[in-house]
Amino acid sequence: MLLEVTLSGVTLGGMYALVAMGLTLQYGVARIMNLSYGELLIAAAFAALWFYSGLALSPLLGLLVVPPLAFALSYAIYRILLQPLVRRAKTRDALEVDSILATFGLLFVIQGVMLAVFGGAYYSYSFLSIPLNIAGATVAANRLLALVLAVVIGLGLYLALTRTRLGTAVRAVAVDPVAAQLVAIDVRTASALAFALGGALVAAAGVLVSMFLTFNANLGVVFTLKALVVVIMGGVGNLLGALIAGLILGLVENYVAVFIDPGLTLAATYAIFLIVLLVRPQGLLGRSSR
Amino acid sequence: MLEVAHLSVQYGRHRAVDNVGLTVGAGEIVVVLGANGAGKSSVLKAVAGLQRPGTGTRVTLGGRELVGLPAHTIVEAGLALVPEGRGIFGELTVRENLLLGAFARRARADEDRNRARVLALFPRLAERLEQTARTMSGGEQQMVAIGRALMSAPEFLLLDEPSLGLSPLLCGELFRALERIRGDGISVLLVEQNAKRSLAIADRGYLIENGRVVGAGRAADLARDPAVQRAYLGGTRQG
Ligand SMILES: Nc1ncnc2c1ncn2[C@@H]1O[C@H](COP(=O)(O)OP(=O)(O)O)[C@@H](O)[C@H]1O
Ligand SMILES: [Mg+2]
Repeated sequence: MLLEVTLSGVTLGGMYALVAMGLTLQYGVARIMNLSYGELLIAAAFAALWFYSGLALSPLLGLLVVPPLAFALSYAIYRILLQPLVRRAKTRDALEVDSILATFGLLFVIQGVMLAVFGGAYYSYSFLSIPLNIAGATVAANRLLALVLAVVIGLGLYLALTRTRLGTAVRAVAVDPVAAQLVAIDVRTASALAFALGGALVAAAGVLVSMFLTFNANLGVVFTLKALVVVIMGGVGNLLGALIAGLILGLVENYVAVFIDPGLTLAATYAIFLIVLLVRPQGLLGRSSR
Repeated sequence: MLEVAHLSVQYGRHRAVDNVGLTVGAGEIVVVLGANGAGKSSVLKAVAGLQRPGTGTRVTLGGRELVGLPAHTIVEAGLALVPEGRGIFGELTVRENLLLGAFARRARADEDRNRARVLALFPRLAERLEQTARTMSGGEQQMVAIGRALMSAPEFLLLDEPSLGLSPLLCGELFRALERIRGDGISVLLVEQNAKRSLAIADRGYLIENGRVVGAGRAADLARDPAVQRAYLGGTRQG
Protein backbone atom coordinates (compact mmCIF):
# COMPACT_ATOMS: atom_id res chain seq x y z
CA MET A 1 0.00 0.00 0.00
CA LEU A 2 2.73 2.44 0.99
CA LEU A 3 4.72 1.55 -2.13
CA GLU A 4 1.68 2.01 -4.34
CA VAL A 5 0.90 5.41 -2.89
CA THR A 6 4.56 6.40 -3.13
CA LEU A 7 4.78 5.36 -6.77
CA SER A 8 1.69 7.28 -7.76
CA GLY A 9 2.93 10.24 -5.71
CA VAL A 10 6.24 10.18 -7.54
CA THR A 11 4.40 10.13 -10.87
CA LEU A 12 2.30 13.12 -9.91
CA GLY A 13 5.42 14.82 -8.54
CA GLY A 14 7.20 14.19 -11.82
CA MET A 15 4.39 16.04 -13.63
CA TYR A 16 4.62 18.94 -11.17
CA ALA A 17 8.38 19.07 -11.64
CA LEU A 18 8.05 19.18 -15.43
CA VAL A 19 5.42 21.89 -15.24
CA ALA A 20 7.53 23.87 -12.78
CA MET A 21 10.62 23.63 -14.98
CA GLY A 22 8.65 25.17 -17.83
CA LEU A 23 7.37 27.97 -15.63
CA THR A 24 10.92 28.56 -14.40
CA LEU A 25 11.97 29.10 -18.00
CA GLN A 26 9.13 31.51 -18.67
CA TYR A 27 9.44 33.41 -15.43
CA GLY A 28 13.14 33.12 -14.68
CA VAL A 29 14.42 33.84 -18.18
CA ALA A 30 11.72 35.79 -19.99
CA ARG A 31 10.43 37.45 -16.79
CA ILE A 32 6.85 36.73 -17.79
CA MET A 33 4.57 35.67 -14.95
CA ASN A 34 2.24 33.62 -17.13
CA LEU A 35 -1.12 33.10 -15.45
CA SER A 36 -2.46 31.29 -18.52
CA TYR A 37 0.30 28.69 -18.17
CA GLY A 38 -1.91 25.81 -16.94
CA GLU A 39 -4.46 26.42 -19.69
CA LEU A 40 -1.93 25.19 -22.21
CA LEU A 41 -1.56 21.99 -20.19
CA ILE A 42 -5.30 21.33 -20.36
CA ALA A 43 -5.41 22.26 -24.05
CA ALA A 44 -2.65 19.72 -24.67
CA ALA A 45 -4.57 17.13 -22.66
CA PHE A 46 -7.63 17.70 -24.87
CA ALA A 47 -5.43 17.46 -27.94
CA ALA A 48 -4.13 14.08 -26.75
CA LEU A 49 -7.70 12.97 -26.07
CA TRP A 50 -8.66 13.96 -29.60
CA PHE A 51 -5.64 12.08 -30.97
CA TYR A 52 -6.70 8.95 -29.10
CA SER A 53 -10.51 8.97 -29.40
CA GLY A 54 -10.95 11.06 -32.53
CA LEU A 55 -8.08 9.90 -34.72
CA ALA A 56 -7.39 6.56 -33.00
CA LEU A 57 -3.74 7.51 -32.69
CA SER A 58 -1.52 6.84 -29.71
CA PRO A 59 -1.06 9.70 -27.24
CA LEU A 60 2.65 8.96 -27.61
CA LEU A 61 2.33 10.29 -31.14
CA GLY A 62 0.60 13.27 -29.57
CA LEU A 63 3.73 13.75 -27.50
CA LEU A 64 5.69 14.22 -30.71
CA VAL A 65 3.18 16.60 -32.29
CA VAL A 66 1.57 18.66 -29.52
CA PRO A 67 4.67 20.14 -27.80
CA PRO A 68 6.11 21.51 -31.06
CA LEU A 69 2.73 23.12 -31.77
CA ALA A 70 2.69 24.58 -28.26
CA PHE A 71 6.22 25.85 -28.88
CA ALA A 72 5.10 27.68 -32.01
CA LEU A 73 1.96 29.04 -30.33
CA SER A 74 3.90 30.26 -27.29
CA TYR A 75 6.54 31.83 -29.52
CA ALA A 76 3.82 33.71 -31.40
CA ILE A 77 2.14 34.79 -28.16
CA TYR A 78 5.46 36.13 -26.91
CA ARG A 79 6.34 38.01 -30.07
CA ILE A 80 2.87 39.44 -30.70
CA LEU A 81 1.31 39.95 -27.28
CA LEU A 82 4.17 40.13 -24.80
CA GLN A 83 7.08 41.70 -26.66
CA PRO A 84 5.32 45.10 -26.87
CA LEU A 85 5.06 44.95 -23.06
CA VAL A 86 8.74 44.03 -22.81
CA ARG A 87 9.65 46.95 -25.03
CA ARG A 88 7.75 49.55 -23.05
CA ALA A 89 8.51 48.23 -19.55
CA LYS A 90 11.02 50.46 -17.77
CA THR A 91 12.08 47.79 -15.29
CA ARG A 92 11.75 44.04 -14.87
CA ASP A 93 9.29 44.61 -12.03
CA ALA A 94 7.08 46.74 -14.27
CA LEU A 95 7.17 43.95 -16.87
CA GLU A 96 6.09 41.44 -14.25
CA VAL A 97 2.96 43.47 -13.40
CA ASP A 98 2.11 44.04 -17.07
CA SER A 99 2.58 40.39 -17.95
CA ILE A 100 0.36 39.28 -15.07
CA LEU A 101 -2.47 41.44 -16.40
CA ALA A 102 -2.02 40.39 -20.03
CA THR A 103 -1.76 36.65 -19.31
CA PHE A 104 -4.70 36.88 -16.89
CA GLY A 105 -6.74 37.96 -19.88
CA LEU A 106 -5.26 35.18 -21.99
CA LEU A 107 -6.29 32.66 -19.33
CA PHE A 108 -9.96 33.47 -19.85
CA VAL A 109 -9.65 33.45 -23.63
CA ILE A 110 -8.13 29.96 -23.76
CA GLN A 111 -10.38 28.63 -21.00
CA GLY A 112 -13.44 30.15 -22.67
CA VAL A 113 -12.68 28.44 -25.97
CA MET A 114 -12.18 25.09 -24.24
CA LEU A 115 -15.41 25.48 -22.24
CA ALA A 116 -17.27 26.33 -25.44
CA VAL A 117 -15.96 23.22 -27.18
CA PHE A 118 -15.87 20.66 -24.37
CA GLY A 119 -18.16 22.11 -21.68
CA GLY A 120 -17.38 21.60 -18.01
CA ALA A 121 -17.53 17.79 -18.03
CA TYR A 122 -14.64 15.59 -16.95
CA TYR A 123 -12.83 13.61 -19.61
CA SER A 124 -10.47 10.68 -19.61
CA TYR A 125 -9.50 7.89 -21.92
CA SER A 126 -8.13 4.49 -21.18
CA PHE A 127 -4.73 4.05 -22.68
CA LEU A 128 -2.46 1.27 -21.43
CA SER A 129 -4.53 0.83 -18.29
CA ILE A 130 -2.88 -2.49 -17.61
CA PRO A 131 -2.04 -3.24 -14.00
CA LEU A 132 1.65 -3.96 -13.50
CA ASN A 133 3.11 -5.63 -10.46
CA ILE A 134 6.19 -4.01 -9.02
CA ALA A 135 7.59 -5.52 -5.82
CA GLY A 136 4.08 -6.44 -4.72
CA ALA A 137 2.57 -3.06 -5.54
CA THR A 138 0.10 -2.61 -8.38
CA VAL A 139 0.67 0.30 -10.73
CA ALA A 140 -1.10 1.14 -13.96
CA ALA A 141 1.21 0.93 -16.96
CA ASN A 142 0.11 4.35 -18.18
CA ARG A 143 1.24 5.96 -14.93
CA LEU A 144 4.60 4.27 -15.09
CA LEU A 145 5.05 5.26 -18.71
CA ALA A 146 4.14 8.87 -17.91
CA LEU A 147 6.69 8.88 -15.12
CA VAL A 148 9.45 7.44 -17.31
CA LEU A 149 8.72 9.96 -20.06
CA ALA A 150 8.66 12.83 -17.58
CA VAL A 151 12.06 11.75 -16.27
CA VAL A 152 13.45 11.50 -19.81
CA ILE A 153 12.11 14.93 -20.82
CA GLY A 154 13.13 16.60 -17.58
CA LEU A 155 16.61 15.09 -17.66
CA GLY A 156 17.04 15.99 -21.31
CA LEU A 157 16.10 19.59 -20.62
CA TYR A 158 18.37 19.73 -17.59
CA LEU A 159 21.32 18.45 -19.60
CA ALA A 160 20.58 20.80 -22.49
CA LEU A 161 20.49 23.77 -20.15
CA THR A 162 23.60 22.86 -18.20
CA ARG A 163 25.83 21.11 -20.74
CA THR A 164 25.44 23.13 -23.94
CA ARG A 165 26.52 26.66 -24.80
CA LEU A 166 23.03 27.63 -25.95
CA GLY A 167 21.46 26.29 -22.74
CA THR A 168 24.07 28.07 -20.64
CA ALA A 169 23.26 31.26 -22.56
CA VAL A 170 19.58 30.86 -21.68
CA ARG A 171 20.51 30.55 -17.99
CA ALA A 172 22.82 33.56 -18.31
CA VAL A 173 19.88 35.70 -19.42
CA ALA A 174 18.11 34.70 -16.20
CA VAL A 175 21.19 35.62 -14.13
CA ASP A 176 21.93 39.00 -15.74
CA PRO A 177 20.20 40.18 -18.92
CA VAL A 178 22.48 43.21 -19.32
CA ALA A 179 25.69 41.23 -19.03
CA ALA A 180 24.21 38.67 -21.43
CA GLN A 181 24.13 41.30 -24.18
CA LEU A 182 27.83 41.92 -23.55
CA VAL A 183 28.63 38.35 -24.62
CA ALA A 184 26.69 38.76 -27.87
CA ILE A 185 23.50 37.06 -26.66
CA ASP A 186 20.38 38.46 -28.33
CA VAL A 187 18.34 38.72 -25.13
CA ARG A 188 14.99 39.28 -26.85
CA THR A 189 15.32 36.19 -29.00
CA ALA A 190 16.61 34.14 -26.09
CA SER A 191 13.61 35.26 -24.01
CA ALA A 192 11.19 34.35 -26.80
CA LEU A 193 12.80 30.92 -27.14
CA ALA A 194 12.74 30.32 -23.37
CA PHE A 195 9.08 31.28 -23.24
CA ALA A 196 8.28 28.98 -26.14
CA LEU A 197 10.28 26.13 -24.60
CA GLY A 198 8.31 26.58 -21.38
CA GLY A 199 5.11 26.27 -23.41
CA ALA A 200 6.34 23.09 -25.08
CA LEU A 201 7.20 21.63 -21.70
CA VAL A 202 3.81 22.29 -20.13
CA ALA A 203 2.15 20.84 -23.24
CA ALA A 204 4.25 17.69 -22.90
CA ALA A 205 3.12 17.49 -19.28
CA GLY A 206 -0.48 17.92 -20.47
CA VAL A 207 -0.21 14.92 -22.81
CA LEU A 208 1.35 12.81 -20.06
CA VAL A 209 -1.24 13.87 -17.46
CA SER A 210 -4.09 13.00 -19.82
CA MET A 211 -2.82 9.40 -19.97
CA PHE A 212 -3.68 8.74 -16.32
CA LEU A 213 -5.82 11.57 -14.86
CA THR A 214 -9.32 12.81 -15.56
CA PHE A 215 -9.42 16.45 -16.48
CA ASN A 216 -11.83 19.22 -17.45
CA ALA A 217 -11.64 22.65 -19.01
CA ASN A 218 -11.51 24.40 -15.63
CA LEU A 219 -8.45 22.61 -14.32
CA GLY A 220 -5.78 24.86 -15.84
CA VAL A 221 -5.73 27.28 -12.94
CA VAL A 222 -4.98 24.46 -10.50
CA PHE A 223 -1.87 23.50 -12.47
CA THR A 224 -0.77 27.14 -12.76
CA LEU A 225 -1.04 27.50 -8.99
CA LYS A 226 0.81 24.24 -8.30
CA ALA A 227 3.53 25.23 -10.73
CA LEU A 228 3.90 28.57 -8.95
CA VAL A 229 4.07 26.86 -5.57
CA VAL A 230 6.71 24.43 -6.81
CA VAL A 231 8.80 27.15 -8.47
CA ILE A 232 8.80 29.32 -5.36
CA MET A 233 9.40 26.32 -3.11
CA GLY A 234 12.35 25.18 -5.20
CA GLY A 235 13.88 28.64 -5.50
CA VAL A 236 13.04 30.90 -8.43
CA GLY A 237 15.10 30.02 -11.49
CA ASN A 238 16.49 26.84 -9.94
CA LEU A 239 15.81 23.76 -12.08
CA LEU A 240 17.04 21.22 -9.55
CA GLY A 241 14.99 22.97 -6.87
CA ALA A 242 11.88 22.70 -9.05
CA LEU A 243 12.50 18.97 -9.47
CA ILE A 244 12.86 18.32 -5.74
CA ALA A 245 9.94 20.56 -4.76
CA GLY A 246 7.73 18.93 -7.42
CA LEU A 247 8.46 15.45 -6.07
CA ILE A 248 7.84 16.54 -2.47
CA LEU A 249 4.51 18.09 -3.41
CA GLY A 250 3.35 15.05 -5.39
CA LEU A 251 4.28 12.67 -2.58
CA VAL A 252 2.71 14.73 0.22
CA GLU A 253 -0.50 15.22 -1.74
CA ASN A 254 -0.86 11.51 -2.33
CA TYR A 255 0.01 10.52 1.25
CA VAL A 256 -2.45 13.03 2.66
CA ALA A 257 -5.19 12.02 0.21
CA VAL A 258 -4.83 8.30 0.96
CA PHE A 259 -3.84 8.16 4.61
CA ILE A 260 -5.61 11.21 6.05
CA ASP A 261 -8.38 12.72 3.95
CA PRO A 262 -8.66 13.54 0.22
CA GLY A 263 -10.30 16.84 1.16
CA LEU A 264 -7.09 17.98 2.81
CA THR A 265 -4.76 17.72 -0.24
CA LEU A 266 -4.97 21.37 -1.12
CA ALA A 267 -4.59 22.36 2.51
CA ALA A 268 -1.46 20.19 2.71
CA THR A 269 -0.04 21.81 -0.41
CA TYR A 270 -0.35 25.26 1.05
CA ALA A 271 0.82 24.17 4.48
CA ILE A 272 4.16 23.02 3.01
CA PHE A 273 4.28 26.12 0.88
CA LEU A 274 3.85 28.36 3.91
CA ILE A 275 6.42 26.43 5.94
CA VAL A 276 9.00 26.78 3.18
CA LEU A 277 8.21 30.48 2.77
CA LEU A 278 8.65 31.07 6.49
CA VAL A 279 11.78 28.98 6.99
CA ARG A 280 13.53 29.45 3.62
CA PRO A 281 11.95 32.40 1.79
CA GLN A 282 14.48 32.01 -1.02
CA GLY A 283 13.25 28.44 -1.64
CA LEU A 284 14.82 25.04 -0.97
CA LEU A 285 17.81 25.56 -3.28
CA GLY A 286 17.50 29.29 -3.93
CA ARG A 287 20.12 31.86 -2.97
CA SER A 288 19.20 34.49 -0.41
CA SER A 289 19.69 37.23 -2.99
CA ARG A 290 19.14 36.86 -6.68
CA MET B 1 40.71 52.31 -35.29
CA LEU B 2 37.86 53.18 -32.92
CA GLU B 3 36.59 56.71 -33.46
CA VAL B 4 34.11 58.50 -31.25
CA ALA B 5 32.87 61.93 -32.27
CA HIS B 6 30.24 64.35 -30.95
CA LEU B 7 29.15 61.82 -28.33
CA SER B 8 26.43 63.02 -26.01
CA VAL B 9 24.37 61.15 -23.43
CA GLN B 10 21.26 62.53 -21.85
CA TYR B 11 19.40 61.17 -18.79
CA GLY B 12 16.04 62.91 -18.77
CA ARG B 13 16.99 66.58 -18.68
CA HIS B 14 20.48 65.91 -17.35
CA ARG B 15 23.22 65.97 -19.98
CA ALA B 16 25.84 63.60 -18.60
CA VAL B 17 28.13 63.58 -21.66
CA ASP B 18 28.52 66.50 -24.03
CA ASN B 19 30.28 66.46 -27.39
CA VAL B 20 32.99 63.98 -26.42
CA GLY B 21 35.46 62.91 -29.08
CA LEU B 22 38.23 60.36 -28.77
CA THR B 23 40.10 57.78 -30.80
CA VAL B 24 41.83 54.51 -30.05
CA GLY B 25 44.34 53.36 -32.62
CA ALA B 26 45.35 49.76 -33.32
CA GLY B 27 47.62 48.43 -30.57
CA GLU B 28 47.12 51.40 -28.28
CA ILE B 29 46.19 51.66 -24.63
CA VAL B 30 44.16 54.82 -24.16
CA VAL B 31 43.02 55.95 -20.72
CA VAL B 32 40.14 58.25 -19.87
CA LEU B 33 40.61 59.93 -16.50
CA GLY B 34 37.90 61.69 -14.56
CA ALA B 35 36.39 62.03 -11.12
CA ASN B 36 33.24 60.26 -9.95
CA GLY B 37 30.25 61.41 -11.95
CA ALA B 38 32.35 62.92 -14.75
CA GLY B 39 30.55 60.77 -17.32
CA LYS B 40 33.15 58.06 -17.93
CA SER B 41 30.79 55.10 -17.61
CA SER B 42 28.20 56.82 -19.76
CA VAL B 43 30.78 57.15 -22.54
CA LEU B 44 31.64 53.44 -22.44
CA LYS B 45 27.99 52.36 -22.23
CA ALA B 46 27.09 54.49 -25.22
CA VAL B 47 29.97 53.07 -27.26
CA ALA B 48 29.04 49.48 -26.30
CA GLY B 49 25.37 49.99 -27.17
CA LEU B 50 24.00 49.72 -23.62
CA GLN B 51 22.93 53.36 -23.58
CA ARG B 52 21.40 55.27 -26.46
CA PRO B 53 23.54 58.31 -27.32
CA GLY B 54 22.16 61.68 -28.47
CA THR B 55 21.63 62.60 -32.11
CA GLY B 56 24.77 63.60 -33.95
CA THR B 57 26.86 61.01 -32.13
CA ARG B 58 29.22 59.02 -34.34
CA VAL B 59 31.01 55.87 -33.26
CA THR B 60 32.90 53.93 -35.90
CA LEU B 61 35.00 50.79 -35.63
CA GLY B 62 37.27 50.31 -38.61
CA GLY B 63 34.96 52.65 -40.52
CA ARG B 64 31.77 50.77 -39.61
CA GLU B 65 29.06 52.83 -37.88
CA LEU B 66 28.09 51.35 -34.49
CA VAL B 67 25.50 53.89 -33.32
CA GLY B 68 22.05 52.32 -33.29
CA LEU B 69 23.29 48.73 -33.31
CA PRO B 70 22.10 46.59 -30.39
CA ALA B 71 24.78 45.72 -27.82
CA HIS B 72 24.98 42.06 -28.87
CA THR B 73 25.74 43.03 -32.45
CA ILE B 74 28.48 45.41 -31.35
CA VAL B 75 30.25 42.49 -29.68
CA GLU B 76 30.14 40.68 -33.03
CA ALA B 77 31.75 43.75 -34.60
CA GLY B 78 34.79 43.26 -32.37
CA LEU B 79 34.27 45.41 -29.32
CA ALA B 80 34.08 43.96 -25.80
CA LEU B 81 33.16 45.86 -22.63
CA VAL B 82 34.11 44.91 -19.07
CA PRO B 83 31.47 47.01 -17.32
CA GLU B 84 31.56 48.83 -14.02
CA GLY B 85 31.01 46.26 -11.28
CA ARG B 86 32.35 43.56 -13.64
CA GLY B 87 29.04 42.12 -14.84
CA ILE B 88 30.11 38.49 -14.55
CA PHE B 89 27.48 35.75 -14.28
CA GLY B 90 27.74 35.20 -10.53
CA GLU B 91 25.58 32.08 -10.41
CA LEU B 92 27.57 30.36 -13.16
CA THR B 93 30.98 28.74 -12.89
CA VAL B 94 34.21 30.22 -14.22
CA ARG B 95 34.15 27.65 -17.02
CA GLU B 96 30.62 28.67 -18.00
CA ASN B 97 31.52 32.36 -17.90
CA LEU B 98 34.39 31.72 -20.31
CA LEU B 99 32.21 29.47 -22.48
CA LEU B 100 29.70 32.29 -22.84
CA GLY B 101 32.47 34.75 -23.57
CA ALA B 102 32.88 32.85 -26.82
CA PHE B 103 29.15 32.90 -27.60
CA ALA B 104 29.79 35.41 -30.38
CA ARG B 105 30.07 33.80 -33.80
CA ARG B 106 33.29 35.70 -34.41
CA ALA B 107 34.85 33.95 -31.41
CA ARG B 108 34.23 30.33 -32.39
CA ALA B 109 37.12 29.73 -34.78
CA ASP B 110 39.84 30.72 -32.28
CA GLU B 111 38.05 29.63 -29.12
CA ASP B 112 40.63 27.08 -27.96
CA ARG B 113 43.55 29.40 -28.60
CA ASN B 114 41.85 32.29 -26.79
CA ARG B 115 41.03 30.08 -23.81
CA ALA B 116 44.65 28.99 -23.59
CA ARG B 117 45.72 32.63 -23.71
CA VAL B 118 43.28 33.68 -21.01
CA LEU B 119 44.37 30.85 -18.73
CA ALA B 120 48.02 31.72 -19.34
CA LEU B 121 47.26 35.35 -18.53
CA PHE B 122 45.35 34.42 -15.36
CA PRO B 123 46.66 31.04 -14.15
CA ARG B 124 44.43 31.32 -11.08
CA LEU B 125 41.38 30.83 -13.29
CA ALA B 126 42.75 27.52 -14.54
CA GLU B 127 42.67 26.21 -10.95
CA ARG B 128 39.15 27.52 -10.35
CA LEU B 129 37.24 26.52 -13.48
CA GLU B 130 34.48 24.74 -11.56
CA GLN B 131 34.04 27.45 -8.91
CA THR B 132 30.85 29.53 -8.87
CA ALA B 133 32.01 32.99 -9.91
CA ARG B 134 30.15 34.84 -7.18
CA THR B 135 32.12 33.03 -4.46
CA MET B 136 35.49 34.32 -5.71
CA SER B 137 37.48 37.27 -4.37
CA GLY B 138 37.17 40.68 -6.02
CA GLY B 139 40.46 40.31 -7.86
CA GLU B 140 39.55 36.87 -9.17
CA GLN B 141 36.15 38.11 -10.31
CA GLN B 142 37.88 40.86 -12.25
CA MET B 143 40.02 38.19 -13.94
CA VAL B 144 36.84 36.30 -14.89
CA ALA B 145 35.35 39.50 -16.31
CA ILE B 146 38.42 40.33 -18.39
CA GLY B 147 38.88 36.70 -19.42
CA ARG B 148 35.26 36.47 -20.54
CA ALA B 149 35.65 39.64 -22.61
CA LEU B 150 38.83 38.31 -24.22
CA MET B 151 37.05 35.08 -25.16
CA SER B 152 34.91 37.08 -27.61
CA ALA B 153 38.07 37.70 -29.69
CA PRO B 154 37.76 41.49 -29.55
CA GLU B 155 39.81 43.98 -31.51
CA PHE B 156 38.98 46.60 -28.89
CA LEU B 157 38.69 45.93 -25.17
CA LEU B 158 36.87 48.56 -23.08
CA LEU B 159 37.27 48.48 -19.29
CA ASP B 160 35.33 50.55 -16.76
CA GLU B 161 37.42 51.16 -13.63
CA PRO B 162 38.83 47.64 -13.41
CA SER B 163 41.13 48.55 -10.50
CA LEU B 164 38.25 49.66 -8.27
CA GLY B 165 38.39 47.83 -4.95
CA LEU B 166 41.60 45.93 -5.69
CA SER B 167 44.60 45.91 -3.35
CA PRO B 168 47.76 47.69 -4.63
CA LEU B 169 49.33 44.32 -5.28
CA LEU B 170 46.40 43.07 -7.39
CA CYS B 171 46.28 46.45 -9.12
CA GLY B 172 49.84 45.93 -10.26
CA GLU B 173 48.96 42.46 -11.61
CA LEU B 174 45.93 43.88 -13.40
CA PHE B 175 47.84 46.62 -15.20
CA ARG B 176 50.60 44.20 -16.19
CA ALA B 177 47.89 41.94 -17.66
CA LEU B 178 46.54 44.87 -19.69
CA GLU B 179 50.01 45.45 -21.14
CA ARG B 180 50.21 41.80 -22.15
CA ILE B 181 46.77 42.05 -23.74
CA ARG B 182 47.99 44.96 -25.84
CA GLY B 183 51.02 42.83 -26.68
CA ASP B 184 48.62 40.29 -28.20
CA GLY B 185 47.40 42.99 -30.58
CA ILE B 186 44.21 44.03 -28.77
CA SER B 187 43.61 47.77 -28.36
CA VAL B 188 42.50 48.90 -24.93
CA LEU B 189 40.26 51.79 -23.90
CA LEU B 190 40.48 52.13 -20.15
CA VAL B 191 38.43 54.33 -17.84
CA GLU B 192 40.14 54.90 -14.51
CA GLN B 193 40.44 56.99 -11.41
CA ASN B 194 43.83 55.46 -10.65
CA ALA B 195 45.75 57.98 -12.76
CA LYS B 196 49.29 57.08 -11.78
CA ARG B 197 49.15 53.41 -12.65
CA SER B 198 47.02 53.80 -15.76
CA LEU B 199 49.12 56.61 -17.22
CA ALA B 200 52.19 54.44 -16.63
CA ILE B 201 50.95 51.78 -19.07
CA ALA B 202 48.91 53.97 -21.45
CA ASP B 203 50.03 55.48 -24.75
CA ARG B 204 47.61 58.39 -24.64
CA GLY B 205 45.03 59.83 -22.28
CA TYR B 206 41.98 62.05 -22.11
CA LEU B 207 40.77 64.09 -19.16
CA ILE B 208 37.03 64.36 -18.72
CA GLU B 209 35.14 66.71 -16.39
CA ASN B 210 31.40 67.28 -16.19
CA GLY B 211 30.86 65.28 -19.35
CA ARG B 212 33.37 67.19 -21.49
CA VAL B 213 36.89 66.46 -22.61
CA VAL B 214 39.08 69.08 -20.94
CA GLY B 215 42.48 67.75 -21.90
CA ALA B 216 44.24 65.14 -24.01
CA GLY B 217 47.76 64.12 -24.79
CA ARG B 218 50.48 61.51 -24.63
CA ALA B 219 50.38 59.60 -21.37
CA ALA B 220 53.94 60.54 -20.45
CA ASP B 221 53.16 64.23 -20.93
CA LEU B 222 49.93 64.01 -18.95
CA ALA B 223 51.75 62.31 -16.08
CA ARG B 224 54.17 65.26 -15.92
CA ASP B 225 51.52 67.98 -16.35
CA PRO B 226 51.22 69.95 -13.08
CA ALA B 227 47.48 70.47 -13.57
CA VAL B 228 46.96 66.72 -13.99
CA GLN B 229 49.14 66.02 -11.00
CA ARG B 230 47.06 68.38 -8.88
CA ALA B 231 43.73 66.98 -10.08
CA TYR B 232 44.41 63.27 -10.45
CA LEU B 233 47.72 62.46 -8.83
CA GLY B 234 47.17 64.18 -5.49
CA GLY B 235 48.39 62.54 -2.31
CA THR B 236 44.90 61.34 -1.34
CA ARG B 237 44.60 58.85 -4.13
CA GLN B 238 46.13 55.43 -3.80
CA GLY B 239 48.54 54.61 -6.49
N1 LIG C 1 20.96 55.74 -15.49
C1 LIG C 1 21.14 57.02 -15.12
N2 LIG C 1 20.08 57.83 -14.91
C2 LIG C 1 20.24 59.12 -14.54
N3 LIG C 1 21.43 59.69 -14.36
C3 LIG C 1 22.54 58.95 -14.54
C4 LIG C 1 22.45 57.58 -14.93
N4 LIG C 1 23.70 57.09 -15.03
C5 LIG C 1 24.53 58.10 -14.73
N5 LIG C 1 23.83 59.21 -14.44
C6 LIG C 1 24.41 60.52 -14.09
O1 LIG C 1 25.25 60.92 -15.15
C7 LIG C 1 26.44 61.49 -14.65
C8 LIG C 1 27.64 60.71 -15.16
O2 LIG C 1 27.60 59.40 -14.61
P1 LIG C 1 28.66 58.28 -14.99
O3 LIG C 1 28.75 58.19 -16.46
O4 LIG C 1 28.30 57.06 -14.25
O5 LIG C 1 30.01 58.91 -14.42
P2 LIG C 1 31.37 58.20 -13.97
O6 LIG C 1 31.41 56.85 -14.55
O7 LIG C 1 32.43 59.09 -14.49
O8 LIG C 1 31.35 58.18 -12.47
C9 LIG C 1 26.32 61.49 -13.13
O9 LIG C 1 25.86 62.76 -12.74
C10 LIG C 1 25.29 60.44 -12.87
O10 LIG C 1 24.57 60.76 -11.70
MG1 LIG D 1 31.59 55.05 -13.58
